[in-house]
Amino acid sequence: MSSALIKCLNLAKTVGNATVRSFLAAPKQPWQSCSAAALQTPHVQMPMQMHTSAVRRDLMEFFDDKKNWSENEVKVGRAWRTEELRIKSNKELHQLWFVLLKERNMLLTMEHECNDKMEVFPSPERIDKVKISMENLETVVRERNKAYHLLETGETGERPQKAVKNAFGLQVSYKACEHALPPFMNLKWIKSRNIGYGGRAVNRFLLKYREKLYNAKRKAKNRSRNEVMMILRRNPNFDLDVLRRQFPDVNVDKLRNEDKIRGHYVPKVGV
Amino acid sequence: MRLTQYLASKLKNFSNLPKEYIERSKKQVYWQTPKEINYLPRTVERKRFRYTTNRSWTGQFRQQNMPGTVRRKVLVEPIEDWSFFRGDRIEVLVGKDKGKQGIVTQVIPERNWVIVEGLNWHYRKVGGEKEFPGIIIKSEAPLHVTKDIRLVDPSDLQGTDFEWRFTEEGEKVRVSLRSGRIIPIPETNNQTHDYKTPNAYIEREKDTPGAVVGEITFQPKLSTFEMDIMEEMGIKEERTPVKSYWY
Repeated sequence: MSSALIKCLNLAKTVGNATVRSFLAAPKQPWQSCSAAALQTPHVQMPMQMHTSAVRRDLMEFFDDKKNWSENEVKVGRAWRTEELRIKSNKELHQLWFVLLKERNMLLTMEHECNDKMEVFPSPERIDKVKISMENLETVVRERNKAYHLLETGETGERPQKAVKNAFGLQVSYKACEHALPPFMNLKWIKSRNIGYGGRAVNRFLLKYREKLYNAKRKAKNRSRNEVMMILRRNPNFDLDVLRRQFPDVNVDKLRNEDKIRGHYVPKVGV
Repeated sequence: MRLTQYLASKLKNFSNLPKEYIERSKKQVYWQTPKEINYLPRTVERKRFRYTTNRSWTGQFRQQNMPGTVRRKVLVEPIEDWSFFRGDRIEVLVGKDKGKQGIVTQVIPERNWVIVEGLNWHYRKVGGEKEFPGIIIKSEAPLHVTKDIRLVDPSDLQGTDFEWRFTEEGEKVRVSLRSGRIIPIPETNNQTHDYKTPNAYIEREKDTPGAVVGEITFQPKLSTFEMDIMEEMGIKEERTPVKSYWY
């Protein structure tokens, strides 16, 4: 099982390298010029033809269309959703990734240039829409890879991570690396490994660190309590169930007996 | 807490901006640790904002919350089910327009406010200088949803209390307590800055058509994403990888 997992991981890594190398070495591939303008930002709309754009090896591809340069607003649709990407094939996801990558590079270039020239960058939310689409695309790809590895090897196939304590006793996430030697033979790794923490200074540091965390939690609880008191002070007939649900940390029933929730006036009841 | 409440409600974001953009444009990071191995991820940024009728992604909001300004805390009562939408007909209960009815044109849930068209207005004087008295602008002040307004029953056009109930189909609706009539959520609630109705959206040149978005092209296959792309591109891998260890 572990051998198969390593084989899949190596194969995935080789695929990544081969894909990048092939993409860089073969600029005349047919998929490159396919639907560069389409598959950009989706919207639920009437069916229309898909249009393409020609390949231009030009630095001006890093800049937006000239007619958008002096606009106050550039209208685009929303970002791709995860459920929309799940029904697409891997080939289309691959193409869409590069379309989004080019669009992101164009938007970041335009933003930088507009900042340099003290001009208005129109519709800066486009950067966030492209970013959301790319994150959703990566989520779908990871889902598919994880499903394959779980089915074939029983493990997720992603980089192993483990929660360990560092030299200060704080919990950090240790990310495993790939090694040619098994761990018991790797003397360099054995020597460089951090095992355990201790000492008087570390214990005193941990004591103060935990006190800091406790103080932050205590202050947050006091803030919630004060907010509930002020709400009850200004709205004596406020629904207590809503307060209990919104502020689970606060004992609302106990606060009812506090003097601080009584205001300086007699509220008008039933007026 | 408030963001979750906002997401769960039926209130639609009129600006149609992504949540991430709204957060990014509002953020004021004063100091942040470098992303190095010997630093913990710590950030010093502004945590308290004063929300007004200027929305949080605008430049006026930035001006009102400049670094260094400290405003008194505004107490906003939590509302579990947001019940006032754009296009609702409401009755004003306070002020000089007491008893009048109007249509909600803007909803500001951060402060539990709505703005009603043509009601609760006052004159504002802006741009005054030494020799120039300035111009007078008629502005509509916001109204508080828990104290200042009431929904109007569509059966008799009188103000009424209401509560949220479920229909037989499981849909959540507002029901007038006086007459038992359902108060429908207006269609104007679905309007955004980009369209009036979703099917009236005018697509742009970089948009993907809706039919292409909904087309199913995924075929289940026993391969990873990279394997599929290799096969698609005609890349063949004959080598056998050497055994390696992850630790």
